[in-house]
Amino acid sequence: MNIVILGAGGMGVISLSKTIANMAMNKHFSVRSSEIHGMAKKGGLVEVHLKINGGLSPMIGVGQADYVIILDDKYKIYAENFAGGDKLISLKNEEKVEIMKELGSVMFANSFILGKLLKKQGTFCENDVIKVLENFKKSKENINAFKKGIEDDI
Amino acid sequence: MEFFLSGNEAIAFGLIQGGVRFITGYPGTPSSEIIPTAIDIKSKLDLNGYFEWSVNEKVALEEALSASFAGIDSAVTFKQVGLNAAMDPFMSAALTGNVGGFVVVSADDPGPHSSQTEQDSRFLAFFAKIPVLDPSTPKEAYQFAADAVRLSRKYSMPVMLRSTTRISHSREDIDVEKINSIAIDADFEKDSDRFAATPHFRYLLHKELNEKIEQIRFNNKPRLFFEGNVLIITSGITYSYIYDIVKKYGLENDVKIAKFDMPYPIDADALQRIIDMHKKTIVIEDSYPVLEMQIKNRENVLSRMNNDMPNEGEYTYDVCEDVLDRLGVLKKKQYAYFNPPPFIRPSLCAGCGHRSAFFAIKKVFKDDAVYTGDIGCYTLGLNLNAVDTVHCMGASISFGFGLSKAYKLAGKFKYIVATIGDSTFFHSGIPALIDAVHNRVPIVVVILDNSTVAMTGNQKTAADNKDSYGEIAHSIRIKDIVKSLGVEFLKKEDAYNVKSSENILERAKKYVENNNLPAVLILSHPCIYEKQNLEANIKIKVDINNDKCKGCKICMDDFECPALIFNSDNKKVEIDRMQCIDCGECIYSCPFGAIEEKE
Repeated sequence: MNIVILGAGGMGVISLSKTIANMAMNKHFSVRSSEIHGMAKKGGLVEVHLKINGGLSPMIGVGQADYVIILDDKYKIYAENFAGGDKLISLKNEEKVEIMKELGSVMFANSFILGKLLKKQGTFCENDVIKVLENFKKSKENINAFKKGIEDDI
Repeated sequence: MEFFLSGNEAIAFGLIQGGVRFITGYPGTPSSEIIPTAIDIKSKLDLNGYFEWSVNEKVALEEALSASFAGIDSAVTFKQVGLNAAMDPFMSAALTGNVGGFVVVSADDPGPHSSQTEQDSRFLAFFAKIPVLDPSTPKEAYQFAADAVRLSRKYSMPVMLRSTTRISHSREDIDVEKINSIAIDADFEKDSDRFAATPHFRYLLHKELNEKIEQIRFNNKPRLFFEGNVLIITSGITYSYIYDIVKKYGLENDVKIAKFDMPYPIDADALQRIIDMHKKTIVIEDSYPVLEMQIKNRENVLSRMNNDMPNEGEYTYDVCEDVLDRLGVLKKKQYAYFNPPPFIRPSLCAGCGHRSAFFAIKKVFKDDAVYTGDIGCYTLGLNLNAVDTVHCMGASISFGFGLSKAYKLAGKFKYIVATIGDSTFFHSGIPALIDAVHNRVPIVVVILDNSTVAMTGNQKTAADNKDSYGEIAHSIRIKDIVKSLGVEFLKKEDAYNVKSSENILERAKKYVENNNLPAVLILSHPCIYEKQNLEANIKIKVDINNDKCKGCKICMDDFECPALIFNSDNKKVEIDRMQCIDCGECIYSCPFGAIEEKE
């Protein structure tokens, strides 16, 4: 499974990629990722390519992603280099506001988006995600956000 | 234990696994995470070892090399341009060799993503006549780091481990072996013919080096993958890309890959025999044609030097696929148009003290000065039009020197303002300042002191009173250094006090012109990117008074804070509360007083 994650510095792109990598490692899958974050601290793009059980290199070529997770909408057009249509996963503005309201922080948006990803793919089940989120500092809130992401009820 | 490690983390694990107990270096993207990982491993496992940042790369290399002279397996880490700063001891180390293992880790940045050059460190290993290992995955980086230590110990010669951004900043699941404590013994065995060799003995050492490198060359044949008739010679990360491309297009019976784990020195005769057995040979390697230059007969080889592929830029997966398409090895499945990501101009953080300093400098010197800048966050003084040159570490002061003297030779006077950060000042600004003071060069030097190496992830500097383990260290004071040189005009101010800074800068301006001597200012403010500094930072909440705001954007252009945004509906400036840290510094930037402190 090839996943590209796009966002700006400070949005948790790399943490999200590590969460998915941990899910894969728990299942003894091979995982590779590539991070580009040259001037991210100064507001630039953070781009992570994540490959689960596939290939030797950590990079995903043009049109080769199974899913693209977009954490910052300004990268929507750029995301289309890697995949199109329903392979793109992002949050609507209303969803972000609701997450903020219901869960208290936009921090949990990435767990919410994991729920959205889970519904689309067949590699991981709900428990694979929960097993990793359980080790988070705010595990309860994150698991809650993740479940809401699956139900898409925000 | 299995970990999801980056290439840099893997290198730290591999070096320590291989027996290294002495690592020094200087931060630089993409190499900066190696030393912090080593520090972490040492702390967690309570290992006996010295893993610490140095003042610059030259000093770092000399510290680690000499520790190896005492028998301790050692390593030095830096980015590729850091190797340039360490070239003198590096070249000499090839001749003296080492006693304990000695590994030079140099991380290249083809692209470049965050560097001033795209140079290939493998070439400098070639130049120095030392072996270089070029991992193609983080897993190989882990293995090769340990292999490098063993090889270095075996031949008593430095071994380079070359990484690139894609290796250093890629992650992989890696099974890490248990690290055991080892008893360290230090014993420097005197041998002046080697460690204090005069030119006569240097000739003999060179002969010895040649013999060692020939032995290694003889044993270095490529590893072959697949069974086809088109030979692709490669090393490093490009091997991984080509391997994946072969699998994707099912070229297992068309292509044979010759991979060099060690791209220098290679057994060129053995490689030539392989080349001669194939109908077509292609060389693809990231950065420079290092493997290619070692091929005996390049006439029929498709390569960079024969202009069959790009000679600049990173060789990404997509570039490799394009090259193989163009050379007829495959037919690309998709010719997708590639939309580049939107360019977002990098900017100093909202509330950064450097911005206030540049603002004051610009207020005083306007467009009347040449602004020589330096390497660090404050390179972004570019956005305030207060940086005209950025060349390499420490060049701000020496560039100021050269320009000032040039104007003088022409019988003219020009204001020159050199800006340099605290860590860069320690790194290589000090010798340049000594020269400027000694030769009475009338430039204004502004040391922008935020007490950290901010750009590369807030590493410590020589001004810290603690080392990386929280133990006591002697704090070196920049002001004392400058004072000791006999600089007459020396002032220090908190960069947040813009009015006072302006006042001092005005006086410095007159001083350099009237006295024909350098003036030095230290404008300091702690880096607010660090949590404790942000928490301790002054809190002045500001608001835009819409009655006074003329929508002229002077604040946005001259102060250039990312938290000042333009509302195109009402044509007024707004504060982006997500970015604003309530420093109140922008108040000075509005000539109409429209930015007001909130009651």
